[in-house]
Amino acid sequence: MSTASTAQAKPAKSEYEMLRAQQWSLIASLLVAPPDSDALSALAGLTGDDTALGQAYGVLADTAGAADAEDVAREFFELFVGVGRGELLPYASFYLTGFLNERPLADLRRDLAMMGIERVEGRFEPEDHIASIAEVMAGLAAGDFDASVLGCGAAGEAGFFARHLEPWAAQFFDDLAVAPSARFYRSVAEVGRIFTDIETRAFALEAKAHRASGSGVAKS
Amino acid sequence: MPREVIRVAVVGVSHPPANKWAKRVVRPSALMAELPALDMGALMSEQGDVRAYYMGDHAVVLHSGETRHYIDNLRAMRPSLWVSCDGDEVRLVTADPYEGEAMASDPERVVEALAMPRAVVARIEAFIEAHHVHEEFHKRKRVPATSQHDPRAPRVLSDNEKWVQTRGKAGLPPKGAG
Repeated sequence: MSTASTAQAKPAKSEYEMLRAQQWSLIASLLVAPPDSDALSALAGLTGDDTALGQAYGVLADTAGAADAEDVAREFFELFVGVGRGELLPYASFYLTGFLNERPLADLRRDLAMMGIERVEGRFEPEDHIASIAEVMAGLAAGDFDASVLGCGAAGEAGFFARHLEPWAAQFFDDLAVAPSARFYRSVAEVGRIFTDIETRAFALEAKAHRASGSGVAKS
Repeated sequence: MPREVIRVAVVGVSHPPANKWAKRVVRPSALMAELPALDMGALMSEQGDVRAYYMGDHAVVLHSGETRHYIDNLRAMRPSLWVSCDGDEVRLVTADPYEGEAMASDPERVVEALAMPRAVVARIEAFIEAHHVHEEFHKRKRVPATSQHDPRAPRVLSDNEKWVQTRGKAGLPPKGAG
């Protein structure tokens, strides 16, 4: 029990990483199910600075304050459930190939299996749902999951993001912003869009710094 | 489906066997547009060991749907009729080159492509003139995925693509209720 390896398995993450993890879980929780009235009032308490992301959070807080939980649930149904299908299909496979349950899902499942992550029993949504990928991103940021086991070119958090989220997440949030039924979710889309944009650029910067350092170890 | 029947007379030639185990076989060798007043199997001529027999008159049926094949036939170097025999008996005479060649793939049969008599050429030309329908050959191509033939579902479902309730509470009576 007192070996060094167990302590090393989950190194302490910086406050910045924990904040990233929280943003990913917020996005995941809003996209997996509609927020109830408690969650809405909590969202209404959010404040933001005058950066783009801060303003998006401000708008989200205002919309959440004005929204009714029942209307938001109805909106969620129209957007993601629907009769026959919802207005949007928030699956990586659909966005990347045009069809559900295609190769991107298989790739994701293989990566998740290597990382030792699996679907909770009783959940039947395929794993390439945006909410579940966002949840995995939250886990990676918080250090609960470890993506360093993934194969070459895909290793690490940046590799996971680049493979499974970056090719389509921005497009998805753009679609969510213009979906005919989106009211509350338009502000969620704005937050998601800006946050994925920041993540994409941050991972690109990290990769650049990594290359510039000339060795396998990034400068601290 | 318009069809036309042309009758042609078939002449068969039998050569002496090449060795003592082989038998004489009558192979069709010429066609005549005019039918001679002979019985089927009559000996027409004998030159040394080579004998010519009359193999009877047979119908060449022209179908309007196959005019394209007849055109191919007439455009060939030597327009032909394909005569297919089982043993000494003629089973089929056809002006369709593809049908004829399909017959020739059976090793049990004797199939010969014989020069088409002038009179038959003229009648087939008239038949083509009357019934041929030109079909433009259309080469199918891959449709770009961005076109309206895209089999993929729309990314964002618009309001008019959604299922809406039009019967029951929404206004119209339920189906079957008059």
